[in-house]
Amino acid sequence: MFLQVVIGGIAVGSAYALMALAMVIIYKTSEVLNFAQGDMAMLSAYVTFMMLSGYGLPFPVAFPLTMLFAIILGMSCEFLFLRRAKEPTVLGMIIMTLSLEMIIFGLVSWKWGSDQRTLPFPISSYDAYTVGDLIISKLELVTFVTALLMMLMLFLFFRYTKVGIAVKATQLNKDAARLMGIRTNRILMGTWGLASVVGATAALLIAPASTLDPYMMWDPLLKGFSSAVLGGMTSLPGAAIGGYIVGIVENLFGTYVSIEFKSVVAFALIVIILCIKPSGLLARHYVKKV
Amino acid sequence: MKGKPARIIGLTAILSIVLGGAIGWAADVQGVSDTEIRIGAWAPQTGPAAPWGAVSRGTDVYFKMINAEGGIHGRKIKFLSFDDQYNPAKTKAGVKEIVEGPGVFAFVAGTGTACGLAVRDYLVDHGVIWIALPNGWAVKGDKHFFFLYPEYPDEAAILVKYAVEKMGKKKIAFFYQNDDYGKGGLKGAREELKKHNMKFAVEIPCEAQDRDLKSQAIKLKMAKPDAVIMWVNPLSAIIMRKTAAALKVETQWIAPSTLADTPFMNKVTDGLWEGTVYSCIAELAESGNPLVKKYKAAFDKYAPKSERWSFLYLAGIGFAEPLVEALKRVGRDVTTEKVIAELDKMKNFKGIFGHITFSPEDRQGQKEVFIAEALKGGKSKQLTGWIKR
Repeated sequence: MFLQVVIGGIAVGSAYALMALAMVIIYKTSEVLNFAQGDMAMLSAYVTFMMLSGYGLPFPVAFPLTMLFAIILGMSCEFLFLRRAKEPTVLGMIIMTLSLEMIIFGLVSWKWGSDQRTLPFPISSYDAYTVGDLIISKLELVTFVTALLMMLMLFLFFRYTKVGIAVKATQLNKDAARLMGIRTNRILMGTWGLASVVGATAALLIAPASTLDPYMMWDPLLKGFSSAVLGGMTSLPGAAIGGYIVGIVENLFGTYVSIEFKSVVAFALIVIILCIKPSGLLARHYVKKV
Repeated sequence: MKGKPARIIGLTAILSIVLGGAIGWAADVQGVSDTEIRIGAWAPQTGPAAPWGAVSRGTDVYFKMINAEGGIHGRKIKFLSFDDQYNPAKTKAGVKEIVEGPGVFAFVAGTGTACGLAVRDYLVDHGVIWIALPNGWAVKGDKHFFFLYPEYPDEAAILVKYAVEKMGKKKIAFFYQNDDYGKGGLKGAREELKKHNMKFAVEIPCEAQDRDLKSQAIKLKMAKPDAVIMWVNPLSAIIMRKTAAALKVETQWIAPSTLADTPFMNKVTDGLWEGTVYSCIAELAESGNPLVKKYKAAFDKYAPKSERWSFLYLAGIGFAEPLVEALKRVGRDVTTEKVIAELDKMKNFKGIFGHITFSPEDRQGQKEVFIAEALKGGKSKQLTGWIKR
């Protein structure tokens, strides 16, 4: 059963890792904690639902359209909301993301209502492969593989593409990047689009295992945020590893120690790690000149 | 001629006193006028518990039907229902607004234990009758309060007894929400199981907002129960059924009446709900009961076309039935005391809920449920008659 618990932890950890990556992508470029990330992802999942159930589109068509929607949504959020702030402080920007979260939540509740719905995902959440005593659901497998692919694509994007390198330059020093001819505003807008795609992917993998409803991403967002803090808010590999650690520890703790405290173990873990290594597991501690 | 004006003045004075008194008996009772009786309710129409808002919309359809039939002794019912978003602070503000504004004679249902608890003392202070949705297990009683929902420990005990005696289950697990609702069910279930010299194979809690129930499902799989009783909210039940199905947990699932919206549960679990045995506090929405048929016709007439005829709608009607019956029995001279007295005289009243009996000493009106089974396509089959603990 131990392995079964670990596999369960890895599957849920994959979703946390994607949410953590989405938060870190934005944080690295703008130092803004995007608390609207979960609801942006939830809105994208509802758009998929509308295309599948409302317009009867097949999933292979609805999926890329959703990703396109997610990019536009993320970029619009940055362009229409965040960029409008005059002389913004980081705290002010965070408050703006909270407002954005409430706007999206209200919009979804108004359009689709609060009823729990089923996302007609092509893979059933309870079809499973059995290997010896181990049971791995197809959805868990798809979640794990998708998360790995997403991480690989992000790695290749940041390492080998011009835009990816421009994003890294903007992250390191926005003013210097601008002086070198990089349009940092566009880069910032692009990172919101990219984060929105990563978040939307997480939402599409979370909804079939639970339900599609306006609250579906609150818990994953919190766990994703915990994972990002655990791994280091400025480290993409840290965020991914943080997600897997939270998922596995949560499941092991819930099964073998105390199921009552399963939900809070992620936060206890953060406190412990931050006491030992304040910048998180993989992020470098740096001192800013002021 | 001299005495005529004096006689007219005298007659006018007497008439004023008589008429004033006549109008006064209505005007003095809060929420009651010569032409209407105002009844209030709170329910979440938006927010996390929005699906439960159908309870209040059911009550609304019922009152519209009563008004179309001529009202009660010449008075129409004005239903003042507001959306509290399942937020106790909003419940408090909304109740205060309608009690101190237009005035309310009574409240019907009122979704959410926490919301009910938030206004409990206020309703006591203002002497407003409350036919409560939260049961007496959760809310402290008062002379103005009447409870219809069977207490959770009693309902759980009935389910355990059925599982052991009728279904022959020997190894039962209990999956519950870690709050008063879930613990209420656990308490009654444990007591009943003890009578059969049995213990739960495993007792597994979850938090209402948990989206990952893998640990809980693995614990169930390890315990290998032949039946699992769930005492959770619909979301946890849905996630557990999907997670357990993926882990190939094969068992008999048993659920309380809070999960009795079978068509909905069947739809959101992709048909996994089929075969679930559950308790009901009201007649089945698709039953041939004449009252249910009558209310369904009212639903077709008064509810918006986008609405779904369901257990929750029926429950909203069931909570209002005893109050309407008491108002009919009281006659035109409506006062809070008279309606309370009439409710207290109610013995074995049968609407669409089970048999309801109130007395000044025992305000838990309904104590019985029946058992049903979820069939394919969201349909249900009644397995027993009304059962008491």
